[in-house]
Amino acid sequence: MPELRKDPILGRWIIISKERGKRPTDFIVEKTNTKSGFCPLCPGNEKTTPPEVLRYGLQSHAANSPGWTLRVVPNKYPALVIEGELGKVGEGLYDKMNGIGAHEVIVETPSHEESFSDLSIESMTNVLFAYRDRLIDLAHDPRFRYVMVFKNHGKAAGASLEHSHSQLVALPILPRMVVSELQGSKDYYQYKERCIFCDIIHQELRDKVRLVCENEQFLVITPFAPRSPFEMWILPRHHSSSYISLDEHSYALLANVFSECLKRLNTCIPNAPYNFVLHTAPLRSQPLEHFHWHFEIVPKLTQIAGFEWGSGFYINPTPPEDAAKYLREVKL
Amino acid sequence: MKNILLVDDEDSIHLLYREELEEEGYTVFSAFTGEEALTKLNEADINLVILDINMPGMNGLEALRKIKELNPSLPVILSSAYQEFKQDLASWCSDEYLVKSANLDELKEAVKRHLP
Repeated sequence: MPELRKDPILGRWIIISKERGKRPTDFIVEKTNTKSGFCPLCPGNEKTTPPEVLRYGLQSHAANSPGWTLRVVPNKYPALVIEGELGKVGEGLYDKMNGIGAHEVIVETPSHEESFSDLSIESMTNVLFAYRDRLIDLAHDPRFRYVMVFKNHGKAAGASLEHSHSQLVALPILPRMVVSELQGSKDYYQYKERCIFCDIIHQELRDKVRLVCENEQFLVITPFAPRSPFEMWILPRHHSSSYISLDEHSYALLANVFSECLKRLNTCIPNAPYNFVLHTAPLRSQPLEHFHWHFEIVPKLTQIAGFEWGSGFYINPTPPEDAAKYLREVKL
Repeated sequence: MKNILLVDDEDSIHLLYREELEEEGYTVFSAFTGEEALTKLNEADINLVILDINMPGMNGLEALRKIKELNPSLPVILSSAYQEFKQDLASWCSDEYLVKSANLDELKEAVKRHLP
């Protein structure tokens, strides 16, 4: 019999269709070409992007020229613009404001062929540092309240260029999903005086049925009520609401588990498309007792259609306990 | 005399743009698909490309990447009825992105910027 499961933070229900239980080999993913023409993100083509706002690499090389190991550039054709005032107004009962925001692209590697999960631990650590550095910088702009850091990997997940990159969007408002997550965790805290994420970590480490991998500072689990088959969350063991508060040497440990869980996913389901999103506290927020920063990795293996849009329910054909077992046991 | 290659699958766009651009003194070559555009680029000495995105067969963004691979310094102006392709990073290969409008002043100004 199928099972309905409730996400304890958002209150979102999902359907686990156990009898259709899909194994990794049931998901067939088409491999996309690694080179299909000119790439604006490759070294030597820096002039086709706006000037970089952050660059790691050889100091001896000029800005916007090769010699970088990672660069961050504003979006060439941004949906939101950086200059201007918010200009909040009401129009009857409707609220609106100017489309102010920052949209940036993090070019994770100079290599066109390397995917995020192929990156060395050092390169992946640099990507994680870049997220931190941009969050710190954008927090100085009082117009912005939240920075959404995310990655689309694979065509089905919305990646239009093969060259590995992630993106961030600084927003003048808190996205509804962030508000719901903050409120859900706050409600739990007010009732139990404990962080719900800390409780999840405690229970998952005890039960180990949804544990994928771990190290001394981080763990990766398949959540109890996942939207997608093989969905994974990366959580710091120690309570912290803000990604930027992580100490310097911990980013390499985060890169370790990030790399490992993506390699496990890619071995189980070769070329699986996925999105990941950083969930962290709003900009300039005081430390929050009820919220715990984390990454959510959502493979794009099922269709979101009318039922999902209408009901908010997701139908997941792979129970997270099975997914965790496959991911844990796969040979790397 | 500067040569412009106009790539669009709609006849009406060719009629409208050709007239306006020829009035400005440009010679206009036509292609109706991405594949045809690549062939025309090998046949004529083109100085600028105006490229639609939504076309049957090879779409404009795929054609754009191939055009820039052949000649990175050739200016390409994307001209689409849709804003949303701006979110596709392949559009970054272009030199400008214009949303189609009945008023062609914006297009003519963009052409002048790249063909002074």
